[in-house]
Amino acid sequence: MRVGTIITATCVLLLAGLMLFGCGGEDQKPAATTKKEATPIRVGGLIDLSGPTSSVGVPYAEGLKGGAKYINEQGGIDGRMVEFDLQDTAYNVQQGLSLYKKMVNTDHVVCIQGFGSAVTEALVRTLAKDMIPNLSASYSAHLTDPKVAPYNFFIAADYTTQMRAALKYFRDNWKEERAPRLALVYPDHPYGLAPIAGGKEYAAEIGFEIVGEANVALNAIDATTELLPLKEKNPDFCWVGGTTPSTSVILKSAKNIGMDTVFFTNIWGTDETLPKLAGSDADGSYSNQAAAVYGQDVPGMKVIMELTGNEPQMTHYTRGFVSMLVMAEGMKRALANGELTGESLKTSLETLRDFDPMGLAPLISYFPDDHRPNMAVFLYTIRDGKLTFVKEQILERRAEWLGH
Amino acid sequence: MQGKCGLFFTTYEGEAQVFQSGFQKLVIGLFLVLLCVAPLILNTHQTSIMNLIFISVIGAVSLNLLTGVCGQISLGHGAFIGVGAYAAGQCSLHGVPFPLAILTGGLITAMVGMVFGVPSLRLKGIYLAIATLAAQLVLEYVFLHGGALTGGSNGLLLDPPSLLGFSFDSEGRMYFLLLFFAAASLLMVTNIMRSKYGRAFVSIRDFYLSAEIVGVNLFWYKLIAFGVSSFLAGVAGGLWGHYTGYISAEQFNIGLSISYLAMIIIGGLGSVLGSVFGAVFIVLLPEVLNALANTLSAFLPDISQYIVALREGVFGLVLILFLIFEPEGLAHRWRLVKAYWKLYPFAH
Repeated sequence: MRVGTIITATCVLLLAGLMLFGCGGEDQKPAATTKKEATPIRVGGLIDLSGPTSSVGVPYAEGLKGGAKYINEQGGIDGRMVEFDLQDTAYNVQQGLSLYKKMVNTDHVVCIQGFGSAVTEALVRTLAKDMIPNLSASYSAHLTDPKVAPYNFFIAADYTTQMRAALKYFRDNWKEERAPRLALVYPDHPYGLAPIAGGKEYAAEIGFEIVGEANVALNAIDATTELLPLKEKNPDFCWVGGTTPSTSVILKSAKNIGMDTVFFTNIWGTDETLPKLAGSDADGSYSNQAAAVYGQDVPGMKVIMELTGNEPQMTHYTRGFVSMLVMAEGMKRALANGELTGESLKTSLETLRDFDPMGLAPLISYFPDDHRPNMAVFLYTIRDGKLTFVKEQILERRAEWLGH
Repeated sequence: MQGKCGLFFTTYEGEAQVFQSGFQKLVIGLFLVLLCVAPLILNTHQTSIMNLIFISVIGAVSLNLLTGVCGQISLGHGAFIGVGAYAAGQCSLHGVPFPLAILTGGLITAMVGMVFGVPSLRLKGIYLAIATLAAQLVLEYVFLHGGALTGGSNGLLLDPPSLLGFSFDSEGRMYFLLLFFAAASLLMVTNIMRSKYGRAFVSIRDFYLSAEIVGVNLFWYKLIAFGVSSFLAGVAGGLWGHYTGYISAEQFNIGLSISYLAMIIIGGLGSVLGSVFGAVFIVLLPEVLNALANTLSAFLPDISQYIVALREGVFGLVLILFLIFEPEGLAHRWRLVKAYWKLYPFAH
């Protein structure tokens, strides 16, 4: 009976709390600004801080926070501070939608810094309706077509472009007479499938022989079964589309069965944790990256190292930082031309031409009819357990590749 | 049905009413009026939460009909909702008017649900759970590899629903559309439960052998339960797809099925009102946690990251606590509260 009373009381309290929640929480206190009369610029962050992608979401969010801090330390945007409201979407669409609506309708943010594909893609139509740009870390090619996703931007080349660029690099450096053999390993998952069709098409175009494909899940604990049939085909190169844990499983399984292949991975498939997970098995593998690694000799890295007190950060941090820089540049241009709104920010971002994010990422341009930030990828290889820069591979900006 | 003291009937029609007393009718009427004026009081964000609740109510009540009333456990409900979303979405993309698209989506889902319901004749309990889990996995694969039918990994983009040229392109407009569908679904399930079919479902749930002995055709009624439940799941899916404007395979994973099961367990198995309570509870749980995190972040910056990360844990904890202390769900607690006030100031 006492338990029943407690439950009843809890329910009543919860109901009361909900009513309070429903009635209050409208007014936010503005952040302290350098100019008292300048209102802060509100930016919403919809990042996966928990859930399956949180291991990369958290460093990305730290990069965004670092970027906002740096912009504010530089005097803000036209004297106005960036007020960054970071919230956790937990890779959950419903949660993301709800947070987005609060940010846009209650907090009146002018821009969203997004992250995961599930939430980013679910917001495509809503963003266009609300005229709120979203700079996300979901790099699916179809989001670069303004006819499909007019308010979506990101600062890295899309997955397919990155894959094509890596393929071009390997083809250009192929010395033998015969066609290089290519195998593809990826999870049967929207992220894994995204670059496959375009990548295979381009591989065939530039003279690769595609010898086999296999599916390895993102949560796989072994990939021997999937890799053995591929080993029979003796591929020279093998694309790995996955995340760091699945890449490490694939590389370890490949080493176990004595697979002598050059593996190259998608942007989320390799980061600073891969050598820790796969040990020496990761050595010699290549990866697509879109930002400098910690400590690299580029102007922006000094800023990041200062911000982080020389505490090494993952490459995801750098991309978050760059995403903020690009947004700030768009805002500066929008304010120079008048009022800052979601719409004016979008228009301003579309005027960026070869914007240099302090050397931290390839040069960025957006066009009104083409939101591909660039056609470039930073290729890295793992040498002695460290991500080592190889080359910035640039492709031509083909019209037929837009959105594919 | 227990009515209040002094309630008696002189006609069978009077006894068969859903709301038997004048007081009940008055209260439900006031509640509906309150729901109708709510969008005027609530801000857009709160209206959007209400919209998510309405969609969840339809999904929860449909699963409750199958699992709570008929006793057929289903771990594939999330996928059935997905079938409805894709089917209704494809209809809309091909120019089918919105109400017809939702209806078609529901009917297609009902057929798919019945196909996967066939094993229920031979399978019970955990075996049926695994069979429906297989349905979930098979359908997820179809969503991802459906080519032009499902948009593959890119998904489908949909326009907001429109009816006779009137576009439901705002939260407030969607609110009334979803409210109508949620109310209609609740009424539909309530009436099914009071019919011959409802009684057959309950008899199958309570003891299938007795049900068969008294002449209930197990296979037929189980199929009907799967069909009706999937139909409503399809309607919920169609509404979800049109509400968000985007459908992708990731949205209809096993997690969604589990969260609907959690709704009906927390709300109360076999209770229409429980489905509503469960849906409200599960949709509001993350909102309350976020509100809590935001309130605390005023004193402790960055706390939100830690509190919200606890969400999964809180979700599991709430489920366990309900199973231990309130196995009959919030609907049972609601009945106890009502009984208490009916008898007040006496204990019995």
